[in-house]
Amino acid sequence: MNDVATEVRITVPEQSRDVATAVKVDIRKLDFRYGKGHALKNVNLAVPANAVTSIIGPSGCGKSTLLRTINRIFELYPDQRATGEIVIDGANVLERGYPLSDLRRLVGMVFQKPTPFASSIRSNVGFALNYYERLSKAAMNDRIEDALRQAALWDEVKDKLHLSALSLSGGQQQRLCIARAIAVRPEVLLLDEATSALDPISTAKIEELIHELRERFTIIIVTHNMQQAARVSQRTAFFHLGELIEFGKTSDVFTNPHEQRTRDYITGRYG
Amino acid sequence: MAIPARRRAADVVAFAFASAATAFGLLWLTWILWTTLREGAAALTPALFTQMTPPPGESGGLLNAFYGSTVMIGLAILIGTPIGIAAGTYLAEQGRYTRLAAIVSFVNDILLSAPSIVIGLFIYELVVRPSGHFSGFAGALALAVILIPIVVRTTEEALRLVPDQMREAGFALGLPRWRVTSRILYKAALSAILTGVLLGVARISGETAPLLFTSLNNQFWSSSLGQPLANVPVVVFQYAMSPYDEWHTLAWAGAFMLTVFVLGLNLLVRLLALKGRSR
Repeated sequence: MNDVATEVRITVPEQSRDVATAVKVDIRKLDFRYGKGHALKNVNLAVPANAVTSIIGPSGCGKSTLLRTINRIFELYPDQRATGEIVIDGANVLERGYPLSDLRRLVGMVFQKPTPFASSIRSNVGFALNYYERLSKAAMNDRIEDALRQAALWDEVKDKLHLSALSLSGGQQQRLCIARAIAVRPEVLLLDEATSALDPISTAKIEELIHELRERFTIIIVTHNMQQAARVSQRTAFFHLGELIEFGKTSDVFTNPHEQRTRDYITGRYG
Repeated sequence: MAIPARRRAADVVAFAFASAATAFGLLWLTWILWTTLREGAAALTPALFTQMTPPPGESGGLLNAFYGSTVMIGLAILIGTPIGIAAGTYLAEQGRYTRLAAIVSFVNDILLSAPSIVIGLFIYELVVRPSGHFSGFAGALALAVILIPIVVRTTEEALRLVPDQMREAGFALGLPRWRVTSRILYKAALSAILTGVLLGVARISGETAPLLFTSLNNQFWSSSLGQPLANVPVVVFQYAMSPYDEWHTLAWAGAFMLTVFVLGLNLLVRLLALKGRSR
């Protein structure tokens, strides 16, 4: 499977010097059904490694569903089924036998609204670390500092790690959630409209952060903000009614889309 | 200008009704407190807490009854809270979308409204008759059976109030369900669950009927759970029905203490709820 995953299957000509060409998350013939609904229809999408891929489209087009399929968080709810393949590092993670905790350690997720746990800043970041690894106190502190630094939050909280995470501002809470997600050293990060509940300044900070993180992680963001997609991502996928309409370099999708529906959406005809 | 005048009149009337209803509700509480206080005042001395229930014609206190009630309620909490929280957690988490949970929840509702005398009789058949005598243990068991459905219901509701996003955030880190539940959800729902337990304790602390069939009463000091155990509600019942004035006064004092205890528990619950909200 690895040899298949070494080339990017995108609709634009191979002119991308901006990202490496290895595929990290290879989505093949993915269908998603809930009850009688059909949220994703035969989606094929090769997400490049160490780059930011944004997923855009009108409400209800299946973009959040796609993220929730990648880490199988949808399985918390009854009557939701995904068929097809999502191949990460050569293994189909949708396979029943693929251990959920391995998958979710490999693929971190940040949600629309900040979700700090009702405990200290320190224990929020160390939360999953405590479960996965037996670390000495010093090693633990290093990992927590490292995660907070990567999330560009360290300088703001280093003197109050013992305070409740709920005492932070919304933007800080969201960066804390990013720190919590990357503390266990995932390789893929899913951001589900992670800035839509934040003010412009916090949003700018997180966009800056995404920019820095892309060297170490494969990032997939869902956003309804097209400017944001254009600002932070190298690849853009446009979804409509559960179908992948267009996928390519962000600059191409926004300046020279191939599909009429993409053009209509990015020029504001619907959405 | 006719409409504003009508609205103002409607407002005055609605406000008057609301105030009257509030006053009506408060009236009974103050009336009960005042009556029990007035009638029991003579017995509200240190002796109430240091002496045993007296034989007719002598003075005494309610020490053995307070002790027995405390022990039985405490044991009921020890038995009922873990079972109630575990079952409530099953209903809200593991079993959330299952048929079994829906059935259990329905049965729990029936148990919740079962007359307490029925529960007393049930424990009588289950424990008292086979063992041949009334006992404090049987009393605690009856109280626990009343407490369990209350804790089940409030735990389930408390956990359902925790937003799904918190669950997803925990599961998205790859943590197993027990860890998400114990480290994230219980923390978020703690004050609501505690509220349920306290309300349940308030409910069982005044229960008389189930104790009549199980623990009965004991005029003397006994700390053995294998023996009949004195307790405040049954003492109040027996002394109030007696022809002796001293016993009447003690019964009033016991009733007063019970009311104050339940009132105190409810105030504590309000305080917890306020704290929970400010978080």
